[in-house]
Amino acid sequence: MSVQVQAQGLVKTYRDGARRVEVLKGVDLAVEPGELVAIVGPSGSGKSTLLHLLGGLDRPDGGRVVIGGEDLSRRSGERLAAFRNRTIGFVFQFHHLLPDFTALENVMLPGRIAGQPPRRALDRARELLAEVGLSEREDHFPSELSGGERQRVALCRALALDPPLLLADEPTGNLDPASGERVLELLLALQERHGTTAVLVTHNPEVAGRCARVLVLDKGVLKPQSPASRGS
Amino acid sequence: MRSRLLTSKAPLPAILALRYLWSTRRRASTTFLSVVAVGAIALGVFALIVSLAALSGFQQVLRTEVLARTPDIEVELPPETSAEDAGRAAEAVRALAGVREVQQVVRGRGWLLGGGRVAAAELVGFDGSLPPSFPGASARSDEAAAGGEERPGLWISRRLAAAWFLEVGDLVDVVSPRPTLTPLGPRPRVRTLPVAGVYDAGKAAEQERSALPLDVAESLFGPGRRRLLVDAGGSEEALEVAAAVEGAAALGPLLPDGARVATWQELNRPLFFALRLERIFLFLGVSLIMLVAALALLADLMLIVANKREDVGMLLTLGATPVRLRRAFVLLGALLATAGTTAGGALGVATAVLADRLHLLKLPGDVFFVEHVPFLVRPRDLVLILGITLALALAASYYGAHRAAALDPVEALRR
Repeated sequence: MSVQVQAQGLVKTYRDGARRVEVLKGVDLAVEPGELVAIVGPSGSGKSTLLHLLGGLDRPDGGRVVIGGEDLSRRSGERLAAFRNRTIGFVFQFHHLLPDFTALENVMLPGRIAGQPPRRALDRARELLAEVGLSEREDHFPSELSGGERQRVALCRALALDPPLLLADEPTGNLDPASGERVLELLLALQERHGTTAVLVTHNPEVAGRCARVLVLDKGVLKPQSPASRGS
Repeated sequence: MRSRLLTSKAPLPAILALRYLWSTRRRASTTFLSVVAVGAIALGVFALIVSLAALSGFQQVLRTEVLARTPDIEVELPPETSAEDAGRAAEAVRALAGVREVQQVVRGRGWLLGGGRVAAAELVGFDGSLPPSFPGASARSDEAAAGGEERPGLWISRRLAAAWFLEVGDLVDVVSPRPTLTPLGPRPRVRTLPVAGVYDAGKAAEQERSALPLDVAESLFGPGRRRLLVDAGGSEEALEVAAAVEGAAALGPLLPDGARVATWQELNRPLFFALRLERIFLFLGVSLIMLVAALALLADLMLIVANKREDVGMLLTLGATPVRLRRAFVLLGALLATAGTTAGGALGVATAVLADRLHLLKLPGDVFFVEHVPFLVRPRDLVLILGITLALALAASYYGAHRAAALDPVEALRR
């Protein structure tokens, strides 16, 4: 399952006291169904902001986001929430697992939010946790898991409803190199196996290098990475 | 298995609320605040129930005492009504449906003198048998015990008899404030009467009340002050009968012009009003405790919301709607409030009932008119207390929940 992602002329401005900071100055982006795209850029360049706009977590000041033919700006809060639930899987730098729920319950959450019968959500969560090698840990609370394990659970949660679009924001940014590599490999493998369209934001060139296409967000504008820097 | 809750069929808001209630027990800071919030609500409900029960208990005792000494209906005849007219009116009223007994009385104030002592007294001149407002009467004397008939004389309270060492047959002077004009100037009217018996005045009565024969009373206070005491067979019936008496009086010459009919309610209006006022102010005072308790609950919920900020952000990101999150936090507040209300309610009712049954709070009987603090839990009060508490707590929960649901997911997830 995959969708096409389109962003046209995205503008986002923040107020910092009296100062206006234009983070995105007309970003255009097109991601084909099933494609894996990395967005790189220095810290504070607006990568996360762009990802929030693509995921419908925030609204742009100008331009529009169209996912699978759906214009997000035309959706109201409630319908946008339902759209996010069904269509988009999120993985963040921090796992953001609910500390009072076990690994299994955390992976079941999207299904329960979608109104799935508990049994179905449970089976799907068990299947995903098995896929990432965490069957033994399903009844553990996040505080009882290692950093890499937590991020793998977060990845399972993102894929719980088999969303056609995966948005990942520095998914390995908070992990040691070995754990980071394991999570990244899993993410890439799952993305490929499920044919999910994916946008991955990172400042790590190595991570970006594993993606089919790399875009650079610089000074509020998105540009293809030059072949010269790609090779480095 | 530790992950049972989310595999249950319960709706998501309920699952979240239950888990947060449970998780708050594991976190020391929120545990403390939750305990404070639940404790404050419980304490408020407890205080309100117990204090209202004590007040109701006292008021019920007082009411019973007062009502025992109040006629069902009293008809005040206009001044200068002749004894014959009064008698005719009494007969006419007695003939009405619902009327059990009609008695003619004269009321006045005077002094009792005996053995060099003096006491101010409310004097009731009566016709026939002693009025019901003089309960527990006994005329125990050797004469009476020997089968002698009840002697006309003065009926005094047991308290006065004990204080003055009076026995049946002892003589007491009754003095009227209304003087007799004599060639030597005004002289007080005095009648000397033997003590006919004693009655039980009740501990609520502050002033001495004495009963004496109607003709003696009229000679002390002058003619034309008669009233009719009507026995209607009960407080409830009295209201209907009073209406019937008034209705009949309006239709024909049942009563002399200017006669006034008053029920026990009207006769005790100031007292009943004071009792009601007392309850209202106590209720308002203790309701402030409930308000403070509701604010404690709100503070607690706000802390939980702050604590769960990241959770709320993630749930919104995963597509949970603000409405469902609001429901979850309202439910959490409702669970805390219900726990507090139930605990306080149960403890309050149990305390009040036990304290009343076991006479836990003793009072010096010679100072107060009861020997222990009486408690009466009225179902209406209970419903009102629980209702107000839950309403305040739910309002606090709703506000806290509203704040949680209004979080911006992007902001909430920022570290």
